[in-house]
Amino acid sequence: MPNEKRSLSERFFQMLVRVFPFDFQTNYAGEMAGVFREQHREAEERGGFSGLVKLWGETIAGVFRTAPREHWEILKQDCAYAFRMMRKNPGFTAIAILTLTLGIGANTAIFSVVRAVLLSPLPYQQGQQLIFIRQQAQKMGMDDMGFSVSEINDYREQNHTLSNLVEYHGMAFTLFGHGDPERVNTGVVSWNYFDMFGIRPIFGRTFLPADDQIGAPAVLILGYEYWKNNFHGDPDIVGKTFEMNDKVHTVVGVLPSIPQYPDENDVYMPTSACPFRSSQRMIEGRDHRMMEVFARTKPRVSLAEAGADLSTIAGRLQAEYPKSYPPEAGYGATPSSLRDELIHGSRPTLVVLLAAAGFVLLIACANVANLTLSRMARRERELAVRTALGAGRSRLLRQLLTESFILAFIGGAAGLLLAYDSLGLLVDFAARLTPRAREIHVDTEVLLFTLAAAVGVSIIFGTLSAVSARGNLSSGLKEGSAGAGPGRQRSLVRNVLIVAQIAFSFILLIGAGLMLQSLYRLLQVNPGFVPQRVLAMRLTFNWSKNKTGEQLIAEANKLLLRAKGEPDVLSAAISSTYPLEPELLTYGQGTTNFQIEGHPLGAGEAPPTVNVASASPEYFKTLGIPLLRGRAFEDTDDQKGLQVVIINDAMRRRFWPNDNPIGQRISPNDGKDWLTIVGVVGDVRELGLNRTPAIEVYSPVAQNSDARTLLVRTIVDPLILATRLRQAVHDVDPQIAITHVMSVEEARRQSLTAQRLTATLLGLFAGLALLIAIAGIGGIMALSVSQRVREIGIRMALGARPSAILRMIVGQGLMLAVLGVGIGFAGALAITRLMKSLLFEVTPTDPATFIGVALLLTSAALVATFVPARRAASIDPNVALRCE
Amino acid sequence: MPKKKDAEPYLPLTPAMFHIMLALADGEKHGYAILKEVARRTDGKVQLSAGTLYGNLARLEGSGMILESDRRPEVGLDDERRRYYGLTEFGREVAVAEAHRMEEALEQAHAKKLFRKPGLA
Repeated sequence: MPNEKRSLSERFFQMLVRVFPFDFQTNYAGEMAGVFREQHREAEERGGFSGLVKLWGETIAGVFRTAPREHWEILKQDCAYAFRMMRKNPGFTAIAILTLTLGIGANTAIFSVVRAVLLSPLPYQQGQQLIFIRQQAQKMGMDDMGFSVSEINDYREQNHTLSNLVEYHGMAFTLFGHGDPERVNTGVVSWNYFDMFGIRPIFGRTFLPADDQIGAPAVLILGYEYWKNNFHGDPDIVGKTFEMNDKVHTVVGVLPSIPQYPDENDVYMPTSACPFRSSQRMIEGRDHRMMEVFARTKPRVSLAEAGADLSTIAGRLQAEYPKSYPPEAGYGATPSSLRDELIHGSRPTLVVLLAAAGFVLLIACANVANLTLSRMARRERELAVRTALGAGRSRLLRQLLTESFILAFIGGAAGLLLAYDSLGLLVDFAARLTPRAREIHVDTEVLLFTLAAAVGVSIIFGTLSAVSARGNLSSGLKEGSAGAGPGRQRSLVRNVLIVAQIAFSFILLIGAGLMLQSLYRLLQVNPGFVPQRVLAMRLTFNWSKNKTGEQLIAEANKLLLRAKGEPDVLSAAISSTYPLEPELLTYGQGTTNFQIEGHPLGAGEAPPTVNVASASPEYFKTLGIPLLRGRAFEDTDDQKGLQVVIINDAMRRRFWPNDNPIGQRISPNDGKDWLTIVGVVGDVRELGLNRTPAIEVYSPVAQNSDARTLLVRTIVDPLILATRLRQAVHDVDPQIAITHVMSVEEARRQSLTAQRLTATLLGLFAGLALLIAIAGIGGIMALSVSQRVREIGIRMALGARPSAILRMIVGQGLMLAVLGVGIGFAGALAITRLMKSLLFEVTPTDPATFIGVALLLTSAALVATFVPARRAASIDPNVALRCE
Repeated sequence: MPKKKDAEPYLPLTPAMFHIMLALADGEKHGYAILKEVARRTDGKVQLSAGTLYGNLARLEGSGMILESDRRPEVGLDDERRRYYGLTEFGREVAVAEAHRMEEALEQAHAKKLFRKPGLA
């Protein structure tokens, strides 16, 4: 038994000794075991159990005191050696660090975006409980009807699954009392809106129930960016007053920087302060829908349960108010998680970019691994000598891994700096995809990611070089080993790495090529109008001043006269919006259901939903929209004249494919009023160059008083006239707030920003990948030639011509390239399907792109191989055979 | 001519190191014998564990202060598994330098009357 016990102790001691470095164990473990055995025997004889306990305590403490010191000593030695090696090979060190910096930097940058937008929880209290509710009339094609006040009250009072329900709608009002009249995007919300989200203001307070009573003193809460940019972060802003809608508003609070959804607002007010929302018409009219609804589910209530609850209420409302919810409309209410609302638009693009950055990192790793392996060939002798002098193999391998880690760590640190520097650009880019862009920053998680990337990368290429070194240590001491040719195993590994780099580069280039093609097609799209030389300005009238439609129309007419009177102006128009206007692309266009005279609805058929816009007589001329039939609007198309509309060709094709629509009538309100079609214009891509034109109805500004935009066609560069026209507007009415002054051409350019940026980023990644891969293939072929000098000399001495040598080297390089392209081809076919939603009129397997990239990559590889091949062909066999 | 190594950078030695070198001062010993001598000489006040002993032996060997000995004791006493260590010339110099350093410190303590009897001014 004592023997058994001792051997158990010894076994445990031997396990304990494993915490020491491997070399230390090799040198001393046996002796240590012997010493411990003696100590164990003595302790047992003298002290019994307590003696053994004391011995174990001292032994364990001794091991854990000494082992870390041993590891630290080895690490210091390895680091010092690694830095010496790096200084001795500055070229290799520079290329390796640069490659890793770019690879890790790109990944860190994209990861910081993905983490903030897709992975991190919402910056609201219990964000997973927050939902967005939509009312839909699916059979009428209405995906988001909005809510009326009555409906909001019904859902709030009748639900069982929600702890809170708040309303929101966005307006644009004019703020006075702070320089020029200023158009401010205003969020009109329930008093407890911010409380529901758990948003605490950085100054002041949120709204109180008393603020939301009709007749209460008007209050405002400022958005963070608006406060920062327009009031320079004034800490004393709370209590300041401004005039808006003929009322004095007092600032009661300032919000923190948080993602705003669905709109970016400058200020917020309670519902009672909005002249539209607080009107009797809005409060009582069940069908007057304008608001959006957010809610918080009760704890442990799922989205499905909330959805069922809302459906029950919707059913009840349909039964109670059949006129407001006709059965053929397909009415319902559905919830979606707020998180999904904020991120779903950005997910495809960000996932593609993350994958692309991942490929770049893999290519960078493969390249550094190849560089390291090439260097190993030159270090064979050094390593073999060290082994012969007593350095254990594991010690050498540990040292190689330390070298790899130091390279990767430096590359990672530099990459992190690169990512940090490019943060501003990334936030700008992401802001076009999601309101969560403002949450992007470099923090501990991103640092950990970079560290993990550096560790992963160093393990990959460190292990490769260590494994390669292990296989070749003995051959390093043989004479002439350097010129005799590369180890077969190492050559194979290098070739595999080159093929992998080429394959990954191919996939990246295909992705970039498809996006660039897509962008090119978008730029070629005929938008349906002539954007050049047109200036646009958003006008926000003082609503409280221009209370009637007539007053607004009169003012609009004055503006037009004034604008047309300016020199260099060819024509001017006023409208509700214009094609590709940034706000139109963000918020969408107004729609109405129309009845077509002579086209009665079938059973269960819903009336068509049509985009509506208003336009003054010269609108189509100013924008260069062709008039296909009938006439444009005239000055006589006013409130007193026949109520008229102009339709687009898409609407004509749908309802009058074989007839003339001129003179036909449509009704927006079930036949109460009829509007006569007087003209047909060409289709315009209003909502995006990649969106098919919808059916569109234009009505005269003089008949609907929706005047929000001034458009002016100019002879000269439109921006030159901006100041003069701004002055012209203020000459007519100094209380009009003017915003979004831009050329329509600029608006068209901006409409493609997200696609352009995505294509640019992918192109950048692909270009980088191509550069690294081609440099890799060139470097490897050059190294191969330098290592085969003797062999080539022998071949030439035996009669091989230079052209044959050239063909041999080029052939070898080309074979690697073709193999890489082939594998990349198969990979790209599988992967690019995932990009489908990002492409426009380009299939993910577009043959032209695939063939083009294959030719590009193969040609580039050919060129990279040619230089070393030429060098090989010009080797003097006499010199080569004497060389060692 | 190889440059003579300076003992100065290695001072002060840790107590464990000094005791190990003292144990080797009068002849080569194996690890367990070093342990036993240190314990005996210090009346059990200094008990080296196996980890501490061999960590310090590795350090001393790496610095060239001790060397594994070729010489073996008599056949009957020899345990082939045990390696014997001996102090090198350089190691002896370092140990002497350490002893001098401690001697100076002791002299200064006496000069400062550190060891006065309690109760006296």
